[in-house]
Amino acid sequence: MSQVFHEIEKKIISVLKIESKLTPEKLEKITQLSPDQIRRGIEWLKLKELATVNETKNIIFSLGKNGIESLRKGLPERRLLDLIKKNPMDISELQKQLGPIFGPAMGLAKKNNWLESAEGKIFLKNYPSIIPGEKTLQQIGQDSVPETKIDKIDLASLSKRPDFLIEHIIKNREISLTENAQNLDFTNSDSSAIDVEAKVPEIYVARTHPLKDTIDEIREIFVTLGFTEILGNMTQPSFWNFDALFTPQDHPARELQDTFYLDGLSSKKIGTAEQIRNVSKYHKKGWRYHWDINEARKMVLRTHTTCITIKHLAEIKPDEARVFSLGRVFRNEKVSYKHLVEFNQIEGVVVGANANLRNLMGIQREFYRRIGITKIKFWPTFFPYTEPSLQTMVFNERLGKWVELFGMGIFRPEVTKPLGIKKPVLAWGGGIERIAMLKYGLDDVREFYNNNLGWLRSVTKCQ
Amino acid sequence: MPVVELSYSRLQKLIGKVSKKQISESLPFLGLDVESEDKDLVRVEYSPNRPDYSTDFGIALGLQGLLGIKTGSLKIKIKNSKEYKINVNSKVTKIRPFVTGIIAKNGKIDDKIIKQFMTMQEDLHFGIGRKRKKSSIGIHDLDKICFPLSYTTTNRNHKFVPLNSNKESTISDILQNTEVGQEYGNILANASQVPIIIDSNNQTVSFPPIVNAAVTTVTTKTKNLFVEVTGISKEDAENMLSIVATILQAAGFALTSTNIYGAKNSSPKFESRKISINPQLINASLGLELKIVKIVSSLKQSRLDASITGKNIVCTIPPYRFDIFGPMDIVEEVALGYGIENLDPILSQSETLGTLHPISSQLKTLSLVMVGLGYLEGLNSSLTSKKILYEMTNRESNNPIAVLNSKSQEHTILRDSILPGLLENISRNIHESYPQKLFETGTIFLKNKPINEKTNFAAVCAHKEANFTEIKSILQAVLKTGFNLEIETKTSNHETFENGRAASILVNGKRIGVIGEINSKTIENYKIRVPVVGFEISLSGLIFD
Repeated sequence: MSQVFHEIEKKIISVLKIESKLTPEKLEKITQLSPDQIRRGIEWLKLKELATVNETKNIIFSLGKNGIESLRKGLPERRLLDLIKKNPMDISELQKQLGPIFGPAMGLAKKNNWLESAEGKIFLKNYPSIIPGEKTLQQIGQDSVPETKIDKIDLASLSKRPDFLIEHIIKNREISLTENAQNLDFTNSDSSAIDVEAKVPEIYVARTHPLKDTIDEIREIFVTLGFTEILGNMTQPSFWNFDALFTPQDHPARELQDTFYLDGLSSKKIGTAEQIRNVSKYHKKGWRYHWDINEARKMVLRTHTTCITIKHLAEIKPDEARVFSLGRVFRNEKVSYKHLVEFNQIEGVVVGANANLRNLMGIQREFYRRIGITKIKFWPTFFPYTEPSLQTMVFNERLGKWVELFGMGIFRPEVTKPLGIKKPVLAWGGGIERIAMLKYGLDDVREFYNNNLGWLRSVTKCQ
Repeated sequence: MPVVELSYSRLQKLIGKVSKKQISESLPFLGLDVESEDKDLVRVEYSPNRPDYSTDFGIALGLQGLLGIKTGSLKIKIKNSKEYKINVNSKVTKIRPFVTGIIAKNGKIDDKIIKQFMTMQEDLHFGIGRKRKKSSIGIHDLDKICFPLSYTTTNRNHKFVPLNSNKESTISDILQNTEVGQEYGNILANASQVPIIIDSNNQTVSFPPIVNAAVTTVTTKTKNLFVEVTGISKEDAENMLSIVATILQAAGFALTSTNIYGAKNSSPKFESRKISINPQLINASLGLELKIVKIVSSLKQSRLDASITGKNIVCTIPPYRFDIFGPMDIVEEVALGYGIENLDPILSQSETLGTLHPISSQLKTLSLVMVGLGYLEGLNSSLTSKKILYEMTNRESNNPIAVLNSKSQEHTILRDSILPGLLENISRNIHESYPQKLFETGTIFLKNKPINEKTNFAAVCAHKEANFTEIKSILQAVLKTGFNLEIETKTSNHETFENGRAASILVNGKRIGVIGEINSKTIENYKIRVPVVGFEISLSGLIFD
């Protein structure tokens, strides 16, 4: 516990050392501190276990509307008895004189055998010298009187009557010091010191999105490896998403349950006449089916960013190039902790006369090294548009197993030839969220898109 | 990706001298991803281009090669016979023109083999058969059939007892009331005549591509098999048959030919193909300097045959390897036979200098300025719902771009605005401390021959004192600091904003967006307890094209 004290604490402690027990109000008067300063000071001292607060409860009574009237004119039954003390009176006359209190007054007087009635008149029988409640009325009078100073039995007879008594509950707090505080000595302490060990309020930084940080990091890595970024539309005609990549029109991946088709939207211009003619020719030859241009026109949400790079290569037909494209891609999947319908993918290509599979593997290994993944291996796999095809497996230390990351390969001649691309094209790509999950130690990919401020404000920036 | 269940002990019997560990370590290098493992059983995913891996027999062939136990291609041995004729009637031409088949004798069939055959059949139907549309298989007990057979058509009142049933049904009945009928009936469309295979006793053998007859059901007592494949292309049907024939031979059956006549049909030949390849292409593609003999032995490990002819290598491809299109596929076969694990990655110097796309750089600048102004970056999907985009923010839904058959109700239309997503984010964080300040940049989608994609930028700010002045100051600051742009605001109403507290944003007289205090209706819809202010502008046409 810090032994640094605020001026407020010091004042309160020194006063209480003398007075031993005080209410906050009295503390205010003596210390000349504001109510708020006293309140805070007491809270701090309580936390440091230097002061205790003893709470007591007092009940105070004053008279209500009917009580005050009775104090002035007498209790209703007393007034009734006074009226008939000399002469018996008619009921109707009494009602007229007493008004609404007649009923209750009659009831009480009858019950106590103070009167009797005959032939429509009321006669006095006994005249009491003191009626229960009268003593309390006198005791309270115009004042506020604590419960302890009033005869309890007499009080009870009034408390049942409406609007006779008003009850105030007053809570009393008395502050006293604990033994530890009694022994404190402020004579040597530095008056400007503050409690530097205390907790401070939390504030939240503004920041870029954690997934965006990973995206930026990956972009920068490829730029420094000599790659230039290209961008393209998320909505694409099937032609560039599938046909140009030698994916036959009856391929299961092209079905509605895997790919998002855009309702009623087709593209009139999908490519040059030559591109369309050549692509269709290779499809007919390779897959033996009727290639339908209307299928190729259908607009889809791109299922990979490869459509952007292949379109770029078909336009530029470079002999030497390093480009990449990074952005959102879409799959018609059920959303779960490991699948999103929309996620980010990077896809890159190297074009060059000497481009080969070992170079492609080298780029991958360097990329992983730069994002901090060194335990990797390559396994063969299959993609419709690359041959040979490989996938990178990286070892996830947390899960203790190998997980698949980027896929890669050399574009098939059936992809490059129809589009007039003459040199070998090395291509690789994969999801960004998987890498970001490894970096942030997440098990649920949905967290990236929940915009949960609790997470965004607390997760450590990692680059 | 299709999955096949394997048993290590069965594989060991099929492969020869090999340990469980060797098998387990080699599977990935055939391109098989281990999905799960439980003692003797292992489930692997295989690529759809390798339908021969749909059974353990096919996988055993591959592993034998990889492990060097048996290499070179598996020769399909077929005994020629005139006994098994199939006559094709030209009536099938319009509906399912081709049939092909093979006889497999003297095999041992147990429950495990039947299970392997069934998964093979299902996988072949789904993948290369394109859900039976392109081609489909029927496997029958040969001894229940009297040759010659006739492949012809029949009407929908034709009756027989279908597989897994004990009573006669009509074709119509089968199509309407059985699971397979309902699933695959659409292949036959509304044709009044449907394909049928009938034997010489006029007994129905098969109703392709829907169901076999019960009488030819294969059981553990079956010794001899008849396999037929029907389809819309002769080549595809024969390709599928070549897989089945290879698997049956590997499973210990002796193959005998069928004779097929009529309506442009002919007997299958199971011929190998030859592809000539220059070793230089192989070495250049893989980045290796392999000697020709090493290339040949690698191809043999991939269960192909290869010989040297002059400077070239001639590779012989067995009929079941129809996934091999040309030289680049041979390159991959060399890589697999050589062993992917033996390829050392190399990092070559880049001849090019990389650059970020200007849009990426500018969006990064924008993010940095917004962070400096105390705003946190949010990320929402482009594919969202009508509820978030329109209903909650009282916006008119103006012919949105919808996707077909989404599996998720929350992802059905493309956003035409970013702000609604950010408001939803605020509503999901009402238990977090205020002020809450969020921004997002991203793509929006508008219908325009067919679609116009633009980059928008939006921000929201929520706390007890949030007001128009605050948010206008933010926008003013970000555009001035980030891009040296001055804004003007002109009174204007907008569905999401409070009337009298909303404005159009103008830069050089051009409207670029909207700004203001979010109206109470939206705030109530979202049960947000503090005022919210925000803006959205289009960056396309403002800071980039």
